[in-house]
Amino acid sequence: MKRFIILVLVILCCSCKENKPIAQAQKIDREQFLEVLEQEGGKVQVINFWATWCAPCVEELPAFEQMSREYSDEIDMTLISLDDVDLIEKKVNPFLKENEITATVLLLDDPYSSEWIPMVDPHWDGAIPVTLIKNNSKSRFYNRTFTESELEKEIQSFL
Amino acid sequence: MKTLKILTGVVIIALIVVFATGSINFGEDRENFYAADPKQERDYSETQKLEQAPPTDSDQTETISSEADFGYSIGDKAANFRLQNVDGEYVSLSDYPDAKGFIVIFTTNHCPYSVAYEDRINDLNKKYASQGFPVIAINPNNPQAYPEDSFENMKVRAKEKGFTFPYLFDNGQKVYPQYGATKTPHVFLLEKEKGDHIVRYIGAIDDNYKNADKVKNHFVEDAVDALLAGEEIQTKTTVAIGCSIKK
Repeated sequence: MKRFIILVLVILCCSCKENKPIAQAQKIDREQFLEVLEQEGGKVQVINFWATWCAPCVEELPAFEQMSREYSDEIDMTLISLDDVDLIEKKVNPFLKENEITATVLLLDDPYSSEWIPMVDPHWDGAIPVTLIKNNSKSRFYNRTFTESELEKEIQSFL
Repeated sequence: MKTLKILTGVVIIALIVVFATGSINFGEDRENFYAADPKQERDYSETQKLEQAPPTDSDQTETISSEADFGYSIGDKAANFRLQNVDGEYVSLSDYPDAKGFIVIFTTNHCPYSVAYEDRINDLNKKYASQGFPVIAINPNNPQAYPEDSFENMKVRAKEKGFTFPYLFDNGQKVYPQYGATKTPHVFLLEKEKGDHIVRYIGAIDDNYKNADKVKNHFVEDAVDALLAGEEIQTKTTVAIGCSIKK
């Protein structure tokens, strides 16, 4: 009986791993944001800037989620929401649930964007979506939208 | 021993069920993704552009942009335009012979960043129109992409918010690429000089979209004040988060 319980637990663990929980947006300030930008490690960092009000962002988000699932061992996917912090519960989290987003979602709570935008890339004028992909040796800033296959191709060039 | 066999059997079946449902869920996800993203086949090859970032950062970041270099820089001569206002009349820069310049603002109905600035845009016009720098707002969006930004809805919004400035519709989306507006709100401050309209400032209205009381830098006001005083504008370009203009 004891063995059976252990086995059931093992199965439960396996099934948990299969279904990563739906993301909840986590609020970050400027300092934490800069830490995210500096983040290094063995994995490729994919950082996408988006918002629920941004139609082209919403359109490409499923591609990022898909890559996050397929390449979970190779990449760290971070989706940085620029939605209003007051809308986390009302808009952002329901959106994540509806679209079954499991990648890490951070919400940058810093309205002084003219100060932090140049820290991300000197060419960025503030239009979204934009994406930053980097590993320990190279870094690329994409002022464009992606389809799933285009994004996969770019990610592979960093692996 | 027999119980163990049965248990192993149960476990194997359970495992199969878990994996099977897992893959079924996965399949459903994929379908949803495609359903939510019908424009996957859009072609970017013509507009893709690769440019090398200047080595300002410690690491060499390459910039890939979907937009070619377009639009105005500081000091460029801005083109005149003739666009329909929400009152039905057509408005052109040449309709203002007494103006010293213009605060041209690309803005929309749907964009929360634009909405957050509506009162401040009204205030800018109230403050500076009498001093020779009226506000001219232009909606550059394609109403097919954002129905909220249609000409009819512009009329509604202008009335609701009591816009004191023209709110023009960039019908055919010809003006915004000429200026190089990429998002809303996006300001182009023009100064009249020998019959030309010279671009003096490009960027944001101020540095805090969310709370007008917590603004640290009033970029547009500072720029217009400098022009009125005959001084050099300190900050000529700024960046800010905004809603991408949709073709």
